[in-house]
Amino acid sequence: MKVSVGDVVLPGDYCEEISPKDEKSRVVIGPGLRKEVDHVYITKAGILKKKNPHTYWIDSYQKRYVPIRGENVIGIVTQKAGDIFRVDIGGSTTAALSFLSFEGATKKNRPELQVGDIIYAKLVIASKDMEPELVCVDSFGHKGRLGVLNDGFMFKCPINLVRKILNPKCPLLDSLKNEWPFEMAAGMNGRIWIKANSMRESIALGNAILGAEFLSDSDIKKMCNNIAAILAGHVS
Amino acid sequence: MATTKKLKLPKALLEMKFMLKTKERLKKEENQKDCDRLYSNIITNEMRHASEKNIFESSFTFCEDLIEGRVSFKGMNPEIERLMELENKPNACDGDMQKDVSDEALAKNMNKLFKRKGSSGFKDCVPNKKKKN
Repeated sequence: MKVSVGDVVLPGDYCEEISPKDEKSRVVIGPGLRKEVDHVYITKAGILKKKNPHTYWIDSYQKRYVPIRGENVIGIVTQKAGDIFRVDIGGSTTAALSFLSFEGATKKNRPELQVGDIIYAKLVIASKDMEPELVCVDSFGHKGRLGVLNDGFMFKCPINLVRKILNPKCPLLDSLKNEWPFEMAAGMNGRIWIKANSMRESIALGNAILGAEFLSDSDIKKMCNNIAAILAGHVS
Repeated sequence: MATTKKLKLPKALLEMKFMLKTKERLKKEENQKDCDRLYSNIITNEMRHASEKNIFESSFTFCEDLIEGRVSFKGMNPEIERLMELENKPNACDGDMQKDVSDEALAKNMNKLFKRKGSSGFKDCVPNKKKKN
């Protein structure tokens, strides 16, 4: 069936809007879309979205993570195997993390990483046929925001919720950031790690994130205010 | 040594030592022609001249312009907060670029330079990008 931007779409539908009108402009075909000879076909069920000038993708509900190059994910170290760590990132296979891809790591100075540790890492290799590969440094060798996540609490959620809270327009983080000190790491593989000073605050933060999944922007603001009031002891 | 398609160099000449390079080149051309003939019914002209107009981006991070996933607020992790500040700063002062020479001074100096040179040839060398205020 022919569909247009903003429609609810199903795999097999096609969209004629997605084609460059003039020769110079290039169209960015995002996740959930596939170019065939004649049209661009939809491969995921969801909503067809567009961002100017020419970016199209499908906003879909998804819980299964498919590793994609360049994304930041949260993984759990499951095995030390010689020069690499095997890390579970929720994909079809475990990912490899070289012990050299940490800030300041050398052959003699190995990073101290134990089985069961949670890490925030970037995917550098993610192809269909190969084991994904992670790094904990950027191209300059700095760790930046990547690395081991100590303490805190990790939970899983649908991948689209991670996208929702990381969207610059989402009011969740803006409403919470002035309420109490906390730290959060959201992996694009549907794992969120949070850390706050007390258990009460951690639970409040976790509830706020998970509660935001089906709420509108104004409702999210309301919920955050509510949670902050309860935490501060104004409401029992 | 220039050879057109119709004109062929005699075999005896190609066998000579100083014609080795040309011989090789001619051989290559012949091979290429054979190759093209072999696949001519599979590879269409369209395929030959098609250029990629689409960029495939399989990550939502770039499509939706998502923010960095690691955040910290109210001093929970000063290291992360410093990085967040550094990242936000360039956006805040994007409007006014730091300049050593003000726009007026530059315009005055350029005017002087034009008067002195006064040739049309020089004008072509001036970058056509106008400096925005």
